[in-house]
Amino acid sequence: MIDFIQNLISGVAVGCIYALAALGFVLIYKSSRVINFANGQFIAIGAFMAYALAVWVKLPVLLAALVAMLLTAGLGFLVERVFLRRMVGQPIISVIMVTIGLASVLDGLMYLTPFGSGNFTFPQFLPQGGLNLGGLSISYPQLLAIGFTAIFLVLFSWFFQRSVLGISMRAVADDQMASMSLGVSVQRVFALAWAVAGLTAAAAGIVVGAVSGLNQDGLIAIGLAVFPAVILGGLDSVPGAVVGGIIIGVLQSFSTAYLDGLFSQIGLVGGGSQYVMPFVVLLVMLWFKPHGLFGTEEIERV
Amino acid sequence: MRNPWAQTGNYRTSYVQDTTIFANYREIVSVVLLLVALCILPMFLERSQVLVLNFILIYAIAVLGLNITTGYAGLISVGQAAFMGVGAYTVALSAPNLPFWLTIPLGGLTAAVIGFVVGIPSLRVKHLYLALATLAFQEIFVWVVGRSPALAQGAAIPVEMRNFLGLEIGFRNHNFFWYYVILFVLVLMVMAWRNLLRGKYGRALIAVRDNDRAADAMGMDPGRTKLFAFALGAFYGGIAGGLLAYMQRAVVVEEFTLGRSVALLAMAIVGGLGTVVGSLLGPAFIEFLRLYMERLSEWMKSNAFIQSITPAGVDVASALLPLSFGLVIVLFLVFEPRGLYNWWRLLRSYFRTWPFKY
Repeated sequence: MIDFIQNLISGVAVGCIYALAALGFVLIYKSSRVINFANGQFIAIGAFMAYALAVWVKLPVLLAALVAMLLTAGLGFLVERVFLRRMVGQPIISVIMVTIGLASVLDGLMYLTPFGSGNFTFPQFLPQGGLNLGGLSISYPQLLAIGFTAIFLVLFSWFFQRSVLGISMRAVADDQMASMSLGVSVQRVFALAWAVAGLTAAAAGIVVGAVSGLNQDGLIAIGLAVFPAVILGGLDSVPGAVVGGIIIGVLQSFSTAYLDGLFSQIGLVGGGSQYVMPFVVLLVMLWFKPHGLFGTEEIERV
Repeated sequence: MRNPWAQTGNYRTSYVQDTTIFANYREIVSVVLLLVALCILPMFLERSQVLVLNFILIYAIAVLGLNITTGYAGLISVGQAAFMGVGAYTVALSAPNLPFWLTIPLGGLTAAVIGFVVGIPSLRVKHLYLALATLAFQEIFVWVVGRSPALAQGAAIPVEMRNFLGLEIGFRNHNFFWYYVILFVLVLMVMAWRNLLRGKYGRALIAVRDNDRAADAMGMDPGRTKLFAFALGAFYGGIAGGLLAYMQRAVVVEEFTLGRSVALLAMAIVGGLGTVVGSLLGPAFIEFLRLYMERLSEWMKSNAFIQSITPAGVDVASALLPLSFGLVIVLFLVFEPRGLYNWWRLLRSYFRTWPFKY
């Protein structure tokens, strides 16, 4: 039982990282119907920027994280301005392919920095060890992941419920035409969505860096793990992104603990079922409940 | 129609004329000339150059399949490499017992069945969700192959074929023999592609791509049409994978990863979606880009001056390939979304209407 709860906690911590990454993804999809395949690259770039600022520029870690998040938000804004704005009205496949091409370009750019290969770790800024609650242990990086996500959620819900920009984003997501005719700048909302996506991606990357170190391939792989999370939660639902992310994280933690042995019995060696289970869930969800737990089903008319 | 040199419009007057494969005798002549040229081309090339050609032709088959799923039916597939992998592994498992002209279609059929299963979500949802279904299949495929002892855990499984009708296939003529086999299969697949897609099923695919609700109202079954597109595209992928297995004498899982799927999608887009000419030009363009970028990075690694001016830790050589690849995709989509096919079309119409501009 204690093992079960321990696995649950570490799963929730990982899931919070996915949730952060998924938030930005869902925001972009919700406002502009664009699937961002470069999300993993945003995560990596945000994390590396924070590292560079903290280690090379010698900023305090938290300030470095904040600046890196803002810079990545700027990158998201720039990407929307330069590439995605030209693609308005193009078929969806072109838009998706542009983000895939962009991911490749960003990959190449990262190889031009020393971060292209090798592992990096943030300077120690959290105390060693963790909390101990009656046999359960929660490390400080795990607490950081959970806390970060909680803070982001509070900020987001405030932003969407109270601020003018947030309300206009919701309006655009609901009905572009109607919000345009009421004087909402749809273009500004799109750019804002990309900027916020960059911000949350960088936050996810920084938390990963604090939990398990920085490695380009590992960070980009998180961008792929986001897809099961958002399909599970619903592609256009912000709470869905959080719930989906946490479910996927817990699923991964449980499949390492309980499924690996089962897989070796049916003749698959090497374990690692945590890498494939999210995609199995993704496929099964698409078969049976494609719009996810919280997604809206589209009603179409000819 | 009498004088093809003075033709300025569509002079077809009957359905029979409208459904011919070739518009006029000049097209027949040019296709025959192209085929003859492709047949004698290896005589002027070395083994390694034929190998490049083989890869291009194999990818052309896979891209043809992708052009059914993505180009015609509008379903984005980021799993075409996995379908190639299904074909290749089917070949690897059945090659010891069956002749190659049976194993390759068998690989295609297996891939088609799996493509059908992967396409099941298309009964209910559209575009993006389907891209994610193929993405999931791609990842599951690589994981399962990488962990199955029966498939050597993704390490190389040898696929040997030493002779064909008494012809010894060894080190020297291996690439040349497979060049002609691949060319033959490609011609067959192109003919099937053209015939299938100008008929009832192809038009159904286009209708579903453009507006699946309207197609539904006109009596087509969008779900079934999309499943058909998935299965057929996967079939082409499986055939290409089977050929790749024989041509490389082995199957390795690294050939069938997400990166390769993306490369195939890039080939389809750079070439021009939904066109035969594009399916040939796209793979050629991307493969040559890869080849020359690899050469360039080799040269940069060996060049002392460039090594001395790059700061430590910066890996320009391995940055070149993803950078150029991504730039090509983005630039094509922004400036020439119809791909190389459009340049080919403009060139043709320039010569047809010369000396007039259009």
